[in-house]
Amino acid sequence: MNKQELLRLSWENLWRMKFRTILTIIGVVIGTSSIIVMVSIGNGAQKSITDELSGVGSVTTLQVYQDLSSMGMSAVSGGKQKDKVILNDDAIKDMKKIDGVVAVTPVVSLNGGEIELNRDQYGVSLMGIDYGVLKDMRYETTSGKKPGANDDNSVILGKEALTSFTLTGISAQPEASTINMEDLIGQNVNLIVKRTNAAGEEEIRSQKLKVAGILESTGGNEDYSIIADYQLVTELNEWQTGVKSNVKKNGYAEALATVEDSSVVNSVTSEIEAMKFTVFSMQQILDSMGSVFQMLQILLGGIGGVALLVACIGIVNTMTMSIYERTKEIGIMKVIGASISDIRNMFITESTMIGLIGGIVGIIISIALSLLINLIAGFFIGGEGSVTISYITPGLVIFALVFSALVGMLSGVRPAIKAANLSSLDAIRSE
Amino acid sequence: MLGKEDIHILKGINLDIEQGEMVALLGPSGSGKSTFLNVLGGLVPPTSGEIKIRDYLISEMTENELCLFRREHLGFIFQSYNLISTMTAMENVALALTFAGVKKEIRRERAKEALEVVGLVDRMGHKPSELSGGQQQRVSIARALVNHPEIILADEPTGNLDSKTSADIMEMITRLNREENQTFVIVTHDPDTTKYCTKVIHMQDGLIERSVNQ
Ligand SMILES: Nc1ncnc2c1ncn2[C@@H]1O[C@H](COP(=O)(O)OP(=O)(O)OP(=O)(O)O)[C@@H](O)[C@H]1O
Ligand SMILES: [Mg+2]
Repeated sequence: MNKQELLRLSWENLWRMKFRTILTIIGVVIGTSSIIVMVSIGNGAQKSITDELSGVGSVTTLQVYQDLSSMGMSAVSGGKQKDKVILNDDAIKDMKKIDGVVAVTPVVSLNGGEIELNRDQYGVSLMGIDYGVLKDMRYETTSGKKPGANDDNSVILGKEALTSFTLTGISAQPEASTINMEDLIGQNVNLIVKRTNAAGEEEIRSQKLKVAGILESTGGNEDYSIIADYQLVTELNEWQTGVKSNVKKNGYAEALATVEDSSVVNSVTSEIEAMKFTVFSMQQILDSMGSVFQMLQILLGGIGGVALLVACIGIVNTMTMSIYERTKEIGIMKVIGASISDIRNMFITESTMIGLIGGIVGIIISIALSLLINLIAGFFIGGEGSVTISYITPGLVIFALVFSALVGMLSGVRPAIKAANLSSLDAIRSE
Repeated sequence: MLGKEDIHILKGINLDIEQGEMVALLGPSGSGKSTFLNVLGGLVPPTSGEIKIRDYLISEMTENELCLFRREHLGFIFQSYNLISTMTAMENVALALTFAGVKKEIRRERAKEALEVVGLVDRMGHKPSELSGGQQQRVSIARALVNHPEIILADEPTGNLDSKTSADIMEMITRLNREENQTFVIVTHDPDTTKYCTKVIHMQDGLIERSVNQ
């Protein structure tokens, strides 16, 4: 019997017992669609979080710190300074030479500043970076513009920098800001920094800052900071603490390296690490999150797998029942010339078809369910744009198709062998 | 020779059948006629002895070889017709060709020819349940013929039919035997049937009692 005939005969056999075939297929449909939907939810969670995290700027920006372990070591070994790598201007210069690095800036921060607007006080922190390389960094402004290399007193406001304030004189709950930051562009604001002097008196320093623009969200600390030139921030720091900073000896707490694009992130990371600094990048977080999501998918897929296992038992049951029902027919076929392999292939083809049809219908239903889940989620979560809770990849569709057909086929093997080995005479005599 | 306790149903049969002969197997119930026919057709293996059809040693063949052999050389007709109830007359007849790998158009053509021979072309789209016993038996004869086998083994082909229909069927079989030179071995209870045959074998308790050429 050739393949085409085999397919036709098996197909006809299936539809002769419509009701049972459909019930069995429904079992497979439930199994496959639960696998697909479960895995798609894992996918969706991964996709929405990685999309969130991999904003254009943040993946190509590396955070560099002095190596924590080497600092610890030097302390233990009695502070042998020459062993310690310091994140100073020389180190920054070296980092700039690495292939793929576009800009490197030290990061100097100042906490506990205040800005007074409309008699409301806003607690702010400053993030000082090198304005000399600001133009090469992935900081974009949503309105206004980036300060140039010499705009020492200009700042960029983080998106959330002025969202909450406390009423003057009352240390009450922070309240939501009523300020429209756009209105501040081009304006001067007064930054107030306080310190307590040796005599225990409070001293106040006021610093005029010119708002140059508003920073496009990066998803990082910048959103809650005011970006200023690092020299200004260093100076304010020195005033606040009363200690001259010695960058050459102590280094910066942090530096930011901007790289060309995401493809060089890993190579640059390892080169900076070779300089004995600690590097954090969004890429690393994404990588480690990837394995978490893989676990999640395996777990969710496993739950769906149980449903498919039940479907698999359903197929075995249907095919076995079908043998009992069709014993006589099998006998007749053998007597009129069907070979053992003809009968076996016929049964395996039938069960594979059940698996495949179940898989195809399951995929269609899963796609519909996935759309529905996202729609409902979008309805409840709200927000602009569509929400991705469930995300079906083409790979998942292909996997589901192959897997369901395979499950059908394997479920059919035992019944098929059983059918093929029936004695033709006993079979033909049975009623 | 079947079953766990090795009951010897056929106890020593020595028989030669020539091409084109029409043999009747006669004997009381339980004498082993059906068993003998099934052994001939390779449906039951003999515990000992040889069955040879032309140059093929049936008794030594594997199950798969037997399938292929039956497909090409043997046709079966049963008392209870053994048609597949969900298939039409045409499909039942064509099924034998399907397993032989014959193409669809040729299959239809040849099935139709075979149904013509048994005079049932006008009923070819009907299912067995829509046909009379005689018509069903004719479909099963058409199915046995469709491969043009050299040998047709029939187990009480007229056993369920009235005498008029039986006579029709036997006449048809006789005609085929003459025209196509096909060999028939027919098990029967009915002495009337034997008059169409060239050789009558009387069986008793698994042995050939006597064999008469006529
Ligand atoms: N599968 C079997 N297992 C054991 N014994 C069997 C089996 N089939 C048949 N027999 C026995 O073999 C003997 C011959 O049976 P067989 O069917 O060949 O008789 P028969 O001549 O065809 O009878 P009938 O005219 O009633 O059809 C009987 O005694 C029967 O009980
Ligand atoms: Mg009998």
